[in-house]
Parts: sequence; structure tokens; C-alpha cells
Amino acid sequence: LMSSAGGTLIRQAVKEAKPVFSATSEDARRRVLNLYRAWFRQLPYIIREYDVPLTLPMCRRKLRENFEKYRQVNDIRVIDLLVAKGQMELVETAHMWKQKTHVMDYFKQTVTPKPTDFLGKFFDGKEP
Amino acid sequence: ISQHAIQRCSQWRCYASASSAGLSQDKITERVMTVIKLFEKISAEKLTIESHFMKELGLDSLDHVELLMAIEDEFGFEIPDQDAEKLNKPSDIIKYLCEKMEVDYK
Repeated sequence: LMSSAGGTLIRQAVKEAKPVFSATSEDARRRVLNLYRAWFRQLPYIIREYDVPLTLPMCRRKLRENFEKYRQVNDIRVIDLLVAKGQMELVETAHMWKQKTHVMDYFKQTVTPKPTDFLGKFFDGKEP
Repeated sequence: ISQHAIQRCSQWRCYASASSAGLSQDKITERVMTVIKLFEKISAEKLTIESHFMKELGLDSLDHVELLMAIEDEFGFEIPDQDAEKLNKPSDIIKYLCEKMEVDYK
């Protein structure tokens, strides 16, 4: 961008971020949908191989939940990184490098939610 | 000699054409509509052959992906991404399947 002010040229350096994987948002969208497809197809095998006490509808809902968490993200590089992490999780889960407990971690059944209101935080011992 | 030839003929493999496999546009339509009706996020009343998945039936892109996967499972072959993006109505899907399986589309 160049703007002339009083006869002098001010050149602004236009910085563009180097793409991680995808060049366009269309490309990134395809990656996301392919990741979803791969996870979706792997779910029945995960349930069978890890012998987790889960049903297929539960797993599908959890998969959808994890994808919906990042629905608002529009930055292509961030989307690429999230897809890469999702892909790594899928590879680890599919090859059985994880254990049953790691699969159940997605469902956070033993995590107590952090208190948000004042009284909850007070009982927890947090200083305001 | 002719009997021998007849025996050999029966051992030759016949590659099934679409019509011999019992595929017609009506059968494809029926199978596609059954698969779509079984999809629980679609209400059966609003569903017609021309209803748009995203605009009229209220599906989002992940639902669309799930639906196309159900159709891939039903018909036994993969639908690539560039084609999958364009399949927004049941009629599009039926037309695409007819083209892929070499059935006459009217």
C-alpha cells in the first residue's frame, strides 16, 4: 500500500503469513471434512478394539461435539493446525498406540467442572 | 465339439452390466430415498426429491458428509470431494449415481 502525504511516499510492508498446508479456505474445508470422514469410519473399530463401554451414537455425538467446538475458527493456518492435531489423534487411536483410558478421556467422566460463580470459587479456596 | 464349446462358454466370466445387475433409475431412486429417510436428522415430511439439504432440510456440512457416507456404504464406492460438494439435493445424488453406474438417466 502506498499513500502520498505531502509529496512523500510511505510504503507499508504488507506481510502475508506462509501457509501451513492449505492455500485457500476451500482447501482447508476439504481437509476438515476428510478428517471428519476418517474419524467417523474408524469409530466402530475403536469401540470394538478398545472394548470401551460406549455406544456408537455416543461416540458420534462426541465426535460432532469436538468438531463443533472449533466451528467459529476462520483463520486458515489455525484450521490446518487443528486438522493436523486431529489427524495425529486418529493415527494414534487407530494403530492402538493408546489405551482404553486415553479413549475414555475424550468423555471426561471423572473431571469435576471448575467453579465459575463466587461462592463456588470461595468454597474451592480461590482468592478473588 | 459343439458340446465342448458350450461347456467352455459356461465357465467364462461374465462382467455384469448395469441392466443385468438389476439397476435402473427407479431402483437407484428408491435406494437413495430409503437411505435418506433413515437419516434421523431429516424429517420425512419435508423430504422430496428436489429438497435442498442445507437450505430446506436444515443440514449443516458435517451432516451432509454423514449422509454421503451412508450413500457410499449403500452403493459400495467412494464419492470424491469435488463431486461430493455439488450433491446438494437427492436428485443430484441420483443423477450422479446413474452416471457413475452407467444407468440411463431420464
